[in-house]
Amino acid sequence: MLKSVILVLVGGALGAVLREDLILWVPNPADQFPLDILAANLAASLLVGLVTGLCQRMAAPEGVSLFTTTGIAGGLSTFSTFAYGTVMLTLASRMSAVVASVYVLTSLALGYLAVVVGLKLSGQGSS
Amino acid sequence: MTAWDVLWVALGGGVGSVLRWGVGRAVGERYHGLFPLSTFLINVSGAFAVGYLSVLFYVDWRDRYGAALNVGVVTGVLGGYTTFSTMQLDAVKLAKQRGGVSATSYLLISLVAGQLAAGLGSALARAQG
Repeated sequence: MLKSVILVLVGGALGAVLREDLILWVPNPADQFPLDILAANLAASLLVGLVTGLCQRMAAPEGVSLFTTTGIAGGLSTFSTFAYGTVMLTLASRMSAVVASVYVLTSLALGYLAVVVGLKLSGQGSS
Repeated sequence: MTAWDVLWVALGGGVGSVLRWGVGRAVGERYHGLFPLSTFLINVSGAFAVGYLSVLFYVDWRDRYGAALNVGVVTGVLGGYTTFSTMQLDAVKLAKQRGGVSATSYLLISLVAGQLAAGLGSALARAQG
């Protein structure tokens, strides 16, 4: 129990710092499209697919997925800023509402695809 | 991003992730249906909290650093608590079990519920303001 808590705590801390580093590094387009949040969410989704597939294939101990999937990927990705950001963009102006719609649909479609690609890369995609 | 920001983000992100894991376990013990209820509840409650606290702290949704409270709680705890990646993994699993319509519905329901919760949270904070 304590070991699990520590794995999730350290993984989540690492993931959150990674997210903020990535957000600083990814440029923000002039049209306010939140490319930085999208990048963090896609990277985390890819990681989740890859690690979930690898853990199944290698029958890895639970700690591996707790640290990597629950911790790092969970900390790296964010739903709260995603949801709140789209609401604020939608309310800001008609132009940014269009950007918000594109952002939402792109995030959902590409995030799903990222998990599928991650699973495929791990060799678990067909199962 | 200063060294203090990194520290607050790490601390908040770690605590938020443990919170998410704990809620996930608690829901998982009581609910055994196909709908990914724990991730859904986590994300919707986190979206409500981010809307409420952003108005309370007077921060724009793009302000990720600055005051320790904002960095630690909004960027750190709530960013770590909510998850986009597990939601997508849930959707892929749901697609395998129940088909694409179920997976798409789950994603859209999560999105709309999350947006409503975030809007409600900020409206509540403004009404109290």
